[in-house]
Amino acid sequence: MMNKAKSVAARYGTGLMQAVAAVMLTCGSGAALAQSAVKMGCVLPLSGGSASVGNQTKAGVTAAVEQINQAGGIKALGGAKLEAIFGDSQSKADIGVAETERLINREKVSVLCGAFNSAVTFPATEVAERNKTPWIVVGSVKDEITERGYKYTFRINNKATYDAREQIDAIDMLGKETGKQAKRVALFYEGGDWGRSHAANIRKLAAERKLDVVLDEPAPPGQVDFTSQLLKIRASKPDALIVALYTPDQLLFSRQLAEQRLDLPFGLHSAGGGTEDPTFYAAVPAKQVAYYFVQEDWQIDFLDNKSEPLLLNIEKRVRGILGHGMSAYAAQGVSVAYVVQDVLERAKTTDREAIRKALAATDITGGPALFPGYQRIKFDENGQNTFSHGAISQNINGKRRTIWPVDNRGADVKPVWPVPTWSKR
Amino acid sequence: MDFYVLSYSAINGIVVGAMLGGIALGLSLIFGVLRIVNFAHGSFLMLAMYIAFWMQHLAGIDPYLSVLIAAPLMFGIGFFVQAYIIAPLIKRERALVVEPISALLLTAGVYIVVDNLALMSFGPNVRSVTSAIESTTVMLGEYPLNTFRLVAAFAALAMALLVSLWLARTDMGRAIRATALNRDAAAMSGINVPFVYNVTFGLGCAMVAVMGCLIAPFIPLTPNVGLSFGIKSFIVVVLGGIGSITGSLLGGVVIGLFESVAAQFVATPTAAIFSLGLFIVILLVRPQGLMGRK
Repeated sequence: MMNKAKSVAARYGTGLMQAVAAVMLTCGSGAALAQSAVKMGCVLPLSGGSASVGNQTKAGVTAAVEQINQAGGIKALGGAKLEAIFGDSQSKADIGVAETERLINREKVSVLCGAFNSAVTFPATEVAERNKTPWIVVGSVKDEITERGYKYTFRINNKATYDAREQIDAIDMLGKETGKQAKRVALFYEGGDWGRSHAANIRKLAAERKLDVVLDEPAPPGQVDFTSQLLKIRASKPDALIVALYTPDQLLFSRQLAEQRLDLPFGLHSAGGGTEDPTFYAAVPAKQVAYYFVQEDWQIDFLDNKSEPLLLNIEKRVRGILGHGMSAYAAQGVSVAYVVQDVLERAKTTDREAIRKALAATDITGGPALFPGYQRIKFDENGQNTFSHGAISQNINGKRRTIWPVDNRGADVKPVWPVPTWSKR
Repeated sequence: MDFYVLSYSAINGIVVGAMLGGIALGLSLIFGVLRIVNFAHGSFLMLAMYIAFWMQHLAGIDPYLSVLIAAPLMFGIGFFVQAYIIAPLIKRERALVVEPISALLLTAGVYIVVDNLALMSFGPNVRSVTSAIESTTVMLGEYPLNTFRLVAAFAALAMALLVSLWLARTDMGRAIRATALNRDAAAMSGINVPFVYNVTFGLGCAMVAVMGCLIAPFIPLTPNVGLSFGIKSFIVVVLGGIGSITGSLLGGVVIGLFESVAAQFVATPTAAIFSLGLFIVILLVRPQGLMGRK
């Protein structure tokens, strides 16, 4: 009996000591947490076909994280520094998934973002969902990414439907403004996830708005000649051409289109892609891309109208990293970093579940998170920011100016509609 | 289908096909002599394009003139790669295996290293090279053709002719042909086989360098531009017949013509599938390729 009582006391004693030790450990790690960094994982295409895009987003994230840390880090976590850890998807789905797993399980990141290519983001978010790690989509527009009932996937930027709707809205609006409506559109797009989903949306909207789709042609990536497709476009006699191509393809296509002097009365309407990449404009003569309409997640003349020091500072830093100024991709990188900051300040912990809850409750109406040109960031039950929208610019007199939405249009900007034929340029 | 559209796409297909054939020439030569599948062929093309780009960017040299610098430089690089990276493998495997499969993996390694070195050194941005030549289109009857593409296609023909002559008429050419036929017999007749290998590999690289400079004015340049050309080159070489100079050009023209014309009837990705189908059918009927010997 005595022996038993002793052993009970000993057991309780040990239990008590373990409990004390556990509490001390927790406090210790809590104190350590306050000074250590909060890890944010970013899966981006840093090599491969979309490498230039991925590196622009990386520059945006890097610049914003530096700025956040200089301003005192995450105050709710005792000034913890934000640390961005990048994973290279190489623009490939399988590698993107592997990188996501590495960031979750080995780097133990609190929140994830990425991965630009829809084909990578789609399976990678599935991994994040399984591991209960919040993922903020950057750049990918495929609708289904936020339409699978996932709890951990959030998207700040447009989804594909919005992109398509904006393009058709702009074509409608320009028609109404001038009384000259486009009737026939041709579709030419890269044959991957992004291009096909964009084309599907345009087809649906075109049917609703009584626009004739006279050509519907996907293109395999990495082509060395577009002559036969340009011939098909010419033969279909479209009023306007809607394209969705990545940078190298867009570059080759634009050059060949100009060389063949293919006249499109109501112009070429590009859904971002290559035409929102600053390196595209550095590599193509300005004349060949005159009057292009570009729909993108960033208002190209945004900084002309604003002089906020935070943004100018970021612009300068991004220029330092990339050698060229802001782009849609860099702006999205900035935005995601500031959303993470906002979320961490509210979550007050690095726990993934708490971060998910805080993310779902996000409602940002000001500050650098809105850098891409949105008025507000607030997610619906699917995790889609319903306030996101893009802007459409036209390349007028060698400068890209915003023409849609009308509210974002500068006072001196007058869209050119229809566009002059090649012989009159 | 409009006759004009069809004939125009046929002419364009031939031009693009000849250009592809020209790019595949170096691969075919290396394949024929060394029995090595050079997986890094596309990467060497990419390197040559970067040489053209930097020559123009730093010194303002026209891409057409940079051929004079790129070709010898790439010859040197090819010579080096063969002498110091591939040769030890051939030496080790000679006793057991006649056609070293591991050389394929080795060149695949070279491809990954070269492409990623280019990515690290030059960055991922897409770049373009411009030539001083202003006129970008010439009219062939009523068909407008891109001058640069036309030059590349004719250069491929000229290069094939020159290399054939060189292989037929010079001592080195004879040594290369002898080595290709039977390397042991060649060695026994006093031919320095390792040296012949180095020269052949270098020559293959120099040939792809010429094409790299010629296509630079119209193909956008990224560190992975070589990949699409590399794969096309394999198809072209195998289709034309391994080691055959004319076969390489013919293979290129068949693929180019077929894809260009087929694209007028079906979507381009489907045309690409059909061209691979055609490739399989030809190989079933003629396993040695169009111009290859059994």
